[in-house]
Amino acid sequence: MTDDERLGPPPIEPLSDAAWSRIERGVWSQLDAAGDSRSEPKVQASRRWWLVAVPLAAAATIAVIAFGTRTTTTTQVAEEPSRVVSGSAPSSVSFSESHIELDADTALVMNHEAGHPVALLERGAAWFTVAPRLSRPEFIVRAGDATVRVVGTRFRVARSDERISVAVEHGVVDVQFRGRMAAVGVNQRWSSESPGQIATITSTAPQAGIPAPSEPATNALDITELETPSPASQAHRPGTRPTAKPGSKLDTRTEPKPDPAHTGDQAPVDRDRAEYDRLAALEPHDPDAALAGYLALVRGTSRWADPALFAAARLAVDRHDRRAETLLEIYLQRFPSGANATDAKQLLTRLKADSP
Amino acid sequence: MSTDPSVGVPESAARAHDLELARRAASGERSAQRALFLEQRPNVHRALFRILGSNREIEDLLQDAFIEIFRALPSFRGDSKLSRWCQTIAIRNAYLAISRRRPPAVDLALVEDGLASGADVRRHVQVREATRRLYAALDQIEPKQRIAFALAVIDGKSLAEVAELTETSMFAIKTRVWRARRELMRRASKDAVLSAYLQELEGGES
Repeated sequence: MTDDERLGPPPIEPLSDAAWSRIERGVWSQLDAAGDSRSEPKVQASRRWWLVAVPLAAAATIAVIAFGTRTTTTTQVAEEPSRVVSGSAPSSVSFSESHIELDADTALVMNHEAGHPVALLERGAAWFTVAPRLSRPEFIVRAGDATVRVVGTRFRVARSDERISVAVEHGVVDVQFRGRMAAVGVNQRWSSESPGQIATITSTAPQAGIPAPSEPATNALDITELETPSPASQAHRPGTRPTAKPGSKLDTRTEPKPDPAHTGDQAPVDRDRAEYDRLAALEPHDPDAALAGYLALVRGTSRWADPALFAAARLAVDRHDRRAETLLEIYLQRFPSGANATDAKQLLTRLKADSP
Repeated sequence: MSTDPSVGVPESAARAHDLELARRAASGERSAQRALFLEQRPNVHRALFRILGSNREIEDLLQDAFIEIFRALPSFRGDSKLSRWCQTIAIRNAYLAISRRRPPAVDLALVEDGLASGADVRRHVQVREATRRLYAALDQIEPKQRIAFALAVIDGKSLAEVAELTETSMFAIKTRVWRARRELMRRASKDAVLSAYLQELEGGES
């Protein structure tokens, strides 16, 4: 048989895009089902029927936030329709130049509709930090019957079956719920249980959803303490939950506890976020104190340890601090896939290239 | 042509990439799971296509394979490439599926009988027909032998590679390929098309 006559092995026939889409949907659906069965093992059949029969409730929020001083960068940018489901640990995602922090056991679908970024909260709760839209299309959050159009803000939307709540930290949010519109401003909270009322969040009621300011961090952390985080500092370990008791003053070394019986209108206190924001504002005036504060934040297991450590490293780079390289290396060691890992790698590469 | 995304990437970097992607996907990060799915689907599809011979019943197998892959991800240690590891799981899955219910042979209707004009078309038809007869014969032999033959002879993988993919010894693979070949040749004694095709494929075995 000549080479021309050889038939060769059977060619691999490609699968159609439609077939791959079917396969992908099947995979995610089964994985989600497995995840749901792990996290919600006691859902009764009757409740499922009710969930199907009753239109899902809704709530949402908008807001504006000028996070000009914020320096955290985000890792994943979802530019195409995608669904994010957090497991037993919180997670975060970037979407249309906005940062979304999902609580544990939260499902969110991100899509674009007529050019508008749309986040659909299926269940759970999430903080949305929406950069000022300026000339960009409004950011829309949907939760059941509620639609929120966001110009730019930081706010939290929580959903537990039909109960929805919105708490605003910065800016103003318009919540449209079953034909009614409510404007929710700074330190205000709206709930689907009393859609006509806007509650004010006071500093003595941190469970309402807005972080209370914390004491300034004054103790700079020895850099060597960062290198080997204690087992207790391994936040977001699969299958584990933080130990702070609901309603108690949170230990800054612990993660806000995702409440398994989450009622949807009690956003967790996040003192560390408030502290982080305070330090970000402090940076231009007192960078040394800000850097020390960031390092103090890193000491615990807060979700803010990641951005705080990166902020400390970035600040050190800006100030030509000799600790910069070490801080970046510690960051990459401790948060190899952290929200700022890409930036940290770039900074480290640049730093090493510039060093004699 | 290799479909392994790590080809051309330094081994250490590829391993780090594999480990990181697997870790993120195992933690439930959907974007990482999707990246892994998109990255590995050509490899997994290729392995299963070689074993089945067509795409006819491949969708369910692919879905099951990826579900198994995601479930097993926490155990991935980077001892082998992620692509190899995924293929191993897919092949194991395929073996179980074939053992439970042998898939039918490639549908004869897939061969375009009326297209025998022009050398390319004629060649295409010949390949399809030879493939149909080959996989019809493979349907009749023991699944382990079928998988070994499909990967070693049809796909041209080395015996060592097939041994790794099927998690067995090279000796066992050699035996399976030999037995499959013997059985196929026995069946090909009455089928000139299959006989010629087998001889051609054997010539290309690595």
